[in-house]
Amino acid sequence: MEFGHSLKKGRIKSTEENLNSIKTIEEDVADKVNRVKLAGFPEEKINARGQMTVWQRLEYLVDSGTWCPLHTLYNPMNNEEGTTNVIDGIGKISGKWAVIIGFDNKVMAGAWLPGQSENILRVTDLAKRLNVPLVWLVNCSGAKLTEQEKFYANRRGAGTPFFRHAELEQLGIPVLAGIYGTNPAGGGYQSISPTILFAHKDCNIAVGGVGIVSGMAPKGKFNLKSAEEIIEKAKQFRVKPPGSVNIHYDETGFFRYVFEDETGVLDGLKDYMKDMPAYPPRFFRVAEPKEPRFPIDDLYRLIPINPKRVYDFGEVLARLVDFSEHMEFRPDYGPEVYAGLCKIDGFLVACIGNRQEYLGRDYPEYADTPGMGGKLYRQGLIKMNEFVTLCGRDRIPIVWFQDSSGLDVGDAAEKAELLGLAQGLVYSIQQTDVPMVLVLLRKGTASAHYLMGGPTANRHNAFTIGTAASEIYVMHGETAAVATYSRRLVKEKDAGRPLEPVIEKMNQLAKDYHEKSRPLFCAQNGLVDEIVPLRDLRKYLVAFTGAAYQNPKSICPQHHMILPRVIKG
Amino acid sequence: MMTQKILAPLDGKVFQLKIKAGDQVEDGEEILVIEAMKMETPIFTPCDGTVREVRVKEGDNVLENDVLAIIDEEHSED
Repeated sequence: MEFGHSLKKGRIKSTEENLNSIKTIEEDVADKVNRVKLAGFPEEKINARGQMTVWQRLEYLVDSGTWCPLHTLYNPMNNEEGTTNVIDGIGKISGKWAVIIGFDNKVMAGAWLPGQSENILRVTDLAKRLNVPLVWLVNCSGAKLTEQEKFYANRRGAGTPFFRHAELEQLGIPVLAGIYGTNPAGGGYQSISPTILFAHKDCNIAVGGVGIVSGMAPKGKFNLKSAEEIIEKAKQFRVKPPGSVNIHYDETGFFRYVFEDETGVLDGLKDYMKDMPAYPPRFFRVAEPKEPRFPIDDLYRLIPINPKRVYDFGEVLARLVDFSEHMEFRPDYGPEVYAGLCKIDGFLVACIGNRQEYLGRDYPEYADTPGMGGKLYRQGLIKMNEFVTLCGRDRIPIVWFQDSSGLDVGDAAEKAELLGLAQGLVYSIQQTDVPMVLVLLRKGTASAHYLMGGPTANRHNAFTIGTAASEIYVMHGETAAVATYSRRLVKEKDAGRPLEPVIEKMNQLAKDYHEKSRPLFCAQNGLVDEIVPLRDLRKYLVAFTGAAYQNPKSICPQHHMILPRVIKG
Repeated sequence: MMTQKILAPLDGKVFQLKIKAGDQVEDGEEILVIEAMKMETPIFTPCDGTVREVRVKEGDNVLENDVLAIIDEEHSED
């Protein structure tokens, strides 16, 4: 069934300010992304050395128009370099979807930096969740030694990705690696842990490099004599670094292929990707791909930047799914939640989102006060539990759209079993082994951020994308200030002391909440995996859906699916 | 001439009023915002026209189905 409406001229007139506000934030995000791209040495300097930058390698490797970057602004340890020093995303190579990641060789020759292993683990998790190849562009000089205490060790430290590579391989997920430059120590394991190694002729991989060999025998302190010895050894290793292609192609055979040119390595990866396991799209498609019937740029007018402003979620969805068509699940039940089957690029997907409008005097049925969209009530929770469970049965990937202020509260809500139904939804998601993606349209708040396919569902949530309107916090900052300081206000009042110092703290807390919920904060700290311009949302959904259907771990024949028939009646 | 009554879709307070009598409005234009249950619900005109009457002011409490404004509908020639 078709849904959605064209924007009326009055609506266009009324929403100029909203459009401009969103675009201003998107420009700010783009500016920060550009800074990451410019981190380290300039491109010309790298090119003058006869090398391509990681960005140039990605540009050459990935099929045009398919690159969906992730974690670009992720920098949880606030590195002065402004990056974790790996660049990653989803894209097609030779027509097949892959998760792709490369070291930024402009920054300390691709060194390990704080926060990098967390970034890599997100990427290995993504390849595992989508069951698609992981393609590496290795160019890793090893640890940034002056900050090793921040990332070298620990449960999710710099060595953990090597175990993840082994895990992917044991699951049958290939890890392909193009290898460039000098890769000692950690860089050596980054190179050796993938499945098939495509080496550039000048690369080397080794257990240790010049730095390690020189410092192997600590003598308590350095002096002029030892400095001279170090210089001599360093010169030696500069002439002949360990682990070149002479060793690892001719002797060990670790390198499956060696290429003369940098682009040759990438051509080798492209050639291999043609043969990676994948069903042809027609195997799973339920219809020919079609664009939505309405322009995606309408989203700039449909999604209010003001978090309190009500809007029509159906109109948003109509700008994202094929031909603006859907089959809605239980439209007369749980009106605060949209659940329905849609198509993205001809593939069947399940969409779940928060409706925002007033729900009428008689809803929720268990309370005396009327309900408002954005909140979750008993029926909406039951509906999501049912829908998710049936998606698992029918093997349908789920796209969550989140914009929620949380669950209904109070004794009536408790009596209506909301707490149990909420954890029931967690249970339903956990036992539904299909890839999920979250689009955080606006608010991710309270437990609703967990329940509705958020990144906390980290075995299921492939990735989470935010928008310029996204904000994430446990509760609104002013609510938090009241919760924190209300008793203090009473005490100060009773004691006859001035209230201003407490009020100042309340305002400061609300301000902190605001600043620490903004899109840039969310991206830097990994609360979302990327802030995506609204006009690119569908592109990411196409990537997610295509990847999810490329080589799924299980199949439900279309004529065995129960959910479309439950909806049809 | 057809008139359109703009009704309050819910109980709440008039948070923003963007029109006055005599204003020309366009189909789909946001003319008023009602605040209720911590959210702001925008009200749109259902047609092109001229505002004949505004029956509320900012800060007023309104009930569901209260008449907020009346628009004289303008029919296009085409």
